[in-house]
Amino acid sequence: MINSVRSTVLSILNKNNFGYISPADFNNYCKQAQLEIFEDYFSKINKQINFENVRQSGTDYANLVKKISEDIEYFSSTNFLSHFANNIFYMPSLSTTGDSWFMTGKILCYTNELATGNTSSVVVNQLVDTAGAFTSKGIVANDIVVNVSTGDIARVISVVSATVISLTADIFTYAPEDYLILESASVKEAEKVTHGKVTMLNTSNLTMPNNTFPAYTLENSFITVYPSTVNSKGQVLSQYTRYPKDPKWTYVSLIGGEPSFDQSQPDYQDFELPQEEEPNLIIKILAYCGISIRETEVYQFAKMEERENDAK
Amino acid sequence: MAYISQFKYYTNNGVAPTDANFGSYQYVSLFDIVNNFMLMYNGNHSLVNNEERFKVLFHAKRAIQELNYDAFREVKTLQLTVSDDLRFILPSNYVNWVRISMYKDGYIRPLTENIQVMSTIQYEQNINGTIVFDINDNVVYIDPSRLNEDRLDGVQKSIYLNSSNPQNGNLGWNIDGAWYFSYTIGARYGLNTETANFNPTFRVDNKAGVINFSSDMREESCILEYISDGMEGGDDTSVSVNKLFEKYIYAYINYEILDKKLGVQEYIVTRARKDKRAAYLNAKIRISKIHPGKLLMNLRGIDKIIK
Repeated sequence: MINSVRSTVLSILNKNNFGYISPADFNNYCKQAQLEIFEDYFSKINKQINFENVRQSGTDYANLVKKISEDIEYFSSTNFLSHFANNIFYMPSLSTTGDSWFMTGKILCYTNELATGNTSSVVVNQLVDTAGAFTSKGIVANDIVVNVSTGDIARVISVVSATVISLTADIFTYAPEDYLILESASVKEAEKVTHGKVTMLNTSNLTMPNNTFPAYTLENSFITVYPSTVNSKGQVLSQYTRYPKDPKWTYVSLIGGEPSFDQSQPDYQDFELPQEEEPNLIIKILAYCGISIRETEVYQFAKMEERENDAK
Repeated sequence: MAYISQFKYYTNNGVAPTDANFGSYQYVSLFDIVNNFMLMYNGNHSLVNNEERFKVLFHAKRAIQELNYDAFREVKTLQLTVSDDLRFILPSNYVNWVRISMYKDGYIRPLTENIQVMSTIQYEQNINGTIVFDINDNVVYIDPSRLNEDRLDGVQKSIYLNSSNPQNGNLGWNIDGAWYFSYTIGARYGLNTETANFNPTFRVDNKAGVINFSSDMREESCILEYISDGMEGGDDTSVSVNKLFEKYIYAYINYEILDKKLGVQEYIVTRARKDKRAAYLNAKIRISKIHPGKLLMNLRGIDKIIK
């Protein structure tokens, strides 16, 4: 979609010889335009829910909440959170989960520890512990296995024997390494609590967070999970909405000529918005271009289009 | 998929305690109540919206506590032997007692409560009656107090009831099971009905967390029937409620939230209150076990003349 957007933007700009937009500028405008549209989804869905509550929204093709939800859910991501210290975990970020977190959906805690120990030998995609006694510990498929030394996580495929478990990933590469196995059925959703409430909550006789009803607070890029026994990697899984990846129009430089689009470049990134957003992207990028090349006509045209779209 | 396999129900999968799941189908857990409420009653198109889960949890627990106090018929029991100090320490989940009995010679004998004070604290006083203080300006206690000491020694008088004995109805001292009487001069007026019982008497000291007994309860076995608040000592995984009250608990949480929420119209609050009341009455009728068969048995005896 990004090449099509660029071609359209350039053709509109060139129609009246308004000027030229370099690939670097274009990429910057793309990022801004995409973010604007992405963030707008959340206010749009809220508006639609309010319409629903006053019976001004329909079902089937008129169900706009469903459509906007789908657009947002494209950016949904689920990852285990990296452990910082004690009951504190890193929120998703480029360095920990490989994406940037925009909004937390839910925080899940695995509170029941099934087994701990250390590996006795290395076999690809397996956990081997001669003292394991895995068959008597209630370990089943999909339970979580954590390499405590590295923080790597895998799921149980099957318990092969009392000493061997087969895993979804090769997380034990030398022996001995400490491991921890958590029961996936023990998962409980932690509730977000404000800092204004958390101290009182932790001293409340009836509602103090526990393994059945955990809670968490957010501070900077860390979350603190309560009860404090939730304190190792693999115990906290997060579902969140990530930011869209920065779009990048990549090209091959031609000597003395126009840059030629090349999507085989490793840093190529298309827009992550649905196809129907192309006109909106073009309008928003044109508005940025208008400011950049100081063409008020382009800017005013783009803004007028945007207003018309909003009024629909 | 079944909630619980038959094997797990009857044997708990071989894990001790193997009887852990007996009768479990009658109950719904606290976790399920909160989860179901958040799922079914809380949301964009519901009256309850954007409420924190801990509030729902709080109201769910309060509902269970209230039900335990006056609606459930779930009485817990504990048997202990009363030692020399004539005390029975209340169980950790005790809220109120239903009946206190002495178990002796294979019979359960319900005891009566003595509303007179059986235990007290006592300050040290000097000969002039002024209170004595220690170097930290705190009062000095006499431990045990005179009243406690007399009770422990069995020197408090109580009434003796034995129609075949000439001392029947007289006040006397019960010391180590033997009765002693003072020489009777003149007449005794009135009867102390609280102690006019052959069996020992007791008084519950809620603040001290003990039941104090009269001296004739020494070394006897006591059975306490009591009610708890259903909080299982704070272990949320063990808290559960009879399914007959499930609807009531949802209605209770719904009402409590709507009642305290800003801007909710009064007619909605009233509707929620009526829902809650109706669910409560329904559940009370259900749990009272009025079966058609039972009614039929009663009706059959309607014309029977009681002689």
